[in-house]
Amino acid sequence: MNTQFKAALLTEDTRFYEEIKAPSMEEQEIRLDVYRNNITVSLVEALCDIFPVTQTLVGDDFFRAMARIYVLNNPPSSPIIREYGQNFSDFVRNFEPAQSLPYLPDLAALEHAMLTLTHSEEYETLDHQVVSEAFSSVENPSILSLCVPPTTQILVSPFAIGSLYQAHFSDGHKRLNQVDITKNEYLLLVKSHLYAQLHVINKEEAIFVKNLMQEKTLENAIPESDSFDLGETLAKLIEWKILTNITQIQTK
Amino acid sequence: MSNVLIEPKHPQAEDTSPVSSSFASRFMSRSGISLKPAYYQLILASFPEIGFFEIHAENYLSKGGPARHYLDLIRQHYPITVHGVGLSIGGEHSIDQQHLERVSQLVNEVQPQIFSEHLAWSSHDNSFLNDLLPVAYDEVTLRRVCEHIDHIQSHAKRQVLIENPSTYFEFNRSKMSETDFLTEMVKRTGCGLLLDINNVEVSCFNHGHDPYQYLNNFPVSAVKQMHLAGHTTDQNTVVPLKIDSHDEPVSQDVWSLYQHTLSLTGDCPTLIERDGNLPAIEELLAEARFADKIRQTVSQEIIREHAI
Repeated sequence: MNTQFKAALLTEDTRFYEEIKAPSMEEQEIRLDVYRNNITVSLVEALCDIFPVTQTLVGDDFFRAMARIYVLNNPPSSPIIREYGQNFSDFVRNFEPAQSLPYLPDLAALEHAMLTLTHSEEYETLDHQVVSEAFSSVENPSILSLCVPPTTQILVSPFAIGSLYQAHFSDGHKRLNQVDITKNEYLLLVKSHLYAQLHVINKEEAIFVKNLMQEKTLENAIPESDSFDLGETLAKLIEWKILTNITQIQTK
Repeated sequence: MSNVLIEPKHPQAEDTSPVSSSFASRFMSRSGISLKPAYYQLILASFPEIGFFEIHAENYLSKGGPARHYLDLIRQHYPITVHGVGLSIGGEHSIDQQHLERVSQLVNEVQPQIFSEHLAWSSHDNSFLNDLLPVAYDEVTLRRVCEHIDHIQSHAKRQVLIENPSTYFEFNRSKMSETDFLTEMVKRTGCGLLLDINNVEVSCFNHGHDPYQYLNNFPVSAVKQMHLAGHTTDQNTVVPLKIDSHDEPVSQDVWSLYQHTLSLTGDCPTLIERDGNLPAIEELLAEARFADKIRQTVSQEIIREHAI
């Protein structure tokens, strides 16, 4: 029976109506509509909470109309609502009215990744002093291996979605319309204390962090580039609280 | 029908440490409010006087992040109740084992005063519909619901309270009243009941039943917690409907029903349940104090009656 009940909630299917005690089909529909409304309104609201930047960019009316179509065709698969919207970015990519904003799907994917990261496990990170002690304790720092949390992610986007995301949360310091969206960006997503943090980094820094994620030693992690500044990059990683451990690789 | 040994009927874990026993008496004597992220900082800064906080299990199942962090701080100072909204006890398929394990783990870690769920379904064929959907009151459903409760209680190794639903239609196929269904469910599974007074008001209004009559038929001896919440009215012009919205203060008719209910059940731990349109926490604390006042008044009346 719940197969028909569910169909009635998500579509115009009327087979379930005969189960509803009411003197007319009109009243059966009104009573069922309370549940239909509860479901769509609560799930659209959930998507607003999960994708606030996407919502701001397209406007509230557009977002809710788009989200409603998504909800009816892609109900959640888990009772943990913050996980909802896993394939929302794919939906946005194929959503005809949103085609004029080619960066929108990537932005939605970024928002979902950030929320998922916030809810992931926390790792203890090293403070400035511990890091400098580790560096001063060895003659040759290039044999050190710097560890980052396993939840760390590097993303490459053909659009400036990182700056867009940061502008949204910058309390008005940066404006959304000041972002040159056509610029490509390298993004570092990392969990710091309780929340996911987003850093826009350059290509060399992205290669460096990616190498650290692959547990390469400092020597092997440094990208072949004249513009890469190791000291500056390390200072950033310390400030962003991304180093979880520094180990010494024994070399023969 | 139960194939689970419940003898005695799922006693709560006996923990006689000073903190847990003082939490237990605080939970029994003073009303609580819903725990919402907007209140985390304020609670830890000012430690408001309140009996307990209730959480929705599904909001606290992450491996990290702010929710569990703040819960772990707050539960050092306050009793907690865990209210599940996703186990889909009324569902036609078996309980989602993975989800049950996550919820059970939370319950084990938090050691709440109460673990409760709903007489409703929300999951079907891999979809979670994010609403508490109604079930028909017939023997087939009763058997299924009892199997699911047995499964949850044996897995969580504790009693679960089941909440009476707010509903917007009745099933043509129902063969018994909601109160008869709940009575039989308690008898077969040994579960307790969470009596939501607002749901009584909403459902009875929507189906043209007398809420006082409903309460007189309610198996009150199984009630171990009560919920009070606000509701709104549906805008349609055909059939007047009340909507269980949890986004308004508790209404006057619900306070009156609550007072009547306490005269039937005796004193009972009570939650001011608020999920939307969140006010300053002081408003909820004031509603909890108001509930405490009614509880004291009714308790004194009961004592006086017994003295006569």
